[in-house]
Amino acid sequence: MKHLLLKLEPLIWLLFGQGILLGTVLLTGWVLVVGLAIPLGIVPADALSYERAQMLGSHIIGRVILLGLIVLPLWKGAHHMRHIFLDFGGAKRDVLVAPLLYLLAASGSVLAVVAIVRI
Amino acid sequence: MSRNAHPDAMAPSKPGRTRTAPPQLPDQFPFGGRYLAYTLFDLTGILYLLLGFLVLCAVWSLGSGEAAWNGVLERNRSMLYVGFHAIALVGVIFVGIRFFGFFPKAQPPRIGPVKPPPKPVILAMLYALWIGVTAFLSIVLAGGIF
Repeated sequence: MKHLLLKLEPLIWLLFGQGILLGTVLLTGWVLVVGLAIPLGIVPADALSYERAQMLGSHIIGRVILLGLIVLPLWKGAHHMRHIFLDFGGAKRDVLVAPLLYLLAASGSVLAVVAIVRI
Repeated sequence: MSRNAHPDAMAPSKPGRTRTAPPQLPDQFPFGGRYLAYTLFDLTGILYLLLGFLVLCAVWSLGSGEAAWNGVLERNRSMLYVGFHAIALVGVIFVGIRFFGFFPKAQPPRIGPVKPPPKPVILAMLYALWIGVTAFLSIVLAGGIF
C-alpha cells in the first residue's frame, strides 16, 4: 500500500494543488451565492429555479464547472486531512488512513461524474 | 534495466544504536505562534471535503427532479447551513490569501528557456483570476446574465 501511495503521489498532488487553486477560485462564488445570498434573501430564489439551474447545469461549460466544484475540493480536503492526521502523530496508521481518505475522494469523484451525467 | 525501488530500500535491516533524540512536536504546535496559520490551513481540508459533498448532493438533486432541487434550496435556508457556509466562506478566502501569498515564492527561477514573471505580477494575475471568476460566477448564479 505504501508503494502504491508513493506511485500515486504525483496524481494526488496534482489534484490537491488544483483543489487549492481552482477549487478556491470556483468555490468562492458558489458559497457566496448558493450558500449565503439566496438563503438570506439577498438574491431572489428564482435566480436558481429548477428550470434555470437545469439550463445552466446541462450546458457543457456548466458541467465542467460543476465537476471542478465537486472533485477538486474533495481531493484538497482528503489530502489536507491526511496531513492533519500525520501532524497529530498518526504516522504509523498512515497506511490505513491515507487510502481511506483517498478512497472517499475517489468515490465522491465517481459519483460526481454520475451526478453530472444525470442532469 | 531499471525497476521501482522499494520504499524502505534504504532502511537498515535492524534498528541500530543512535544518539539522535526521537522526533518531538515543537512547543508551539498546533496553535501557537506561526503554527496557528499552518494548522488552520490544514484544517480547511475538512471544510473543503464537506463543501465538495454538499455540491455533489445539490447536483445529484438537480438530476433527480424539481422537488429534490427545491429541497436543496429549502435546506440551505436553515441556520445550520447558513452558519456552515459563512464559516466556509471565511475558510475559502483564508486558503486563497495564504496560497496565493506563497505561490509566487514557489516558482522555479526558470521554466525551460522562459523566466517566470516577477512575483508581484504573478500575484496580481492570481488575484485578477480569483476576483474575475468569482464575480462572473456570482453574476451567473444570481441570474444577472444567461
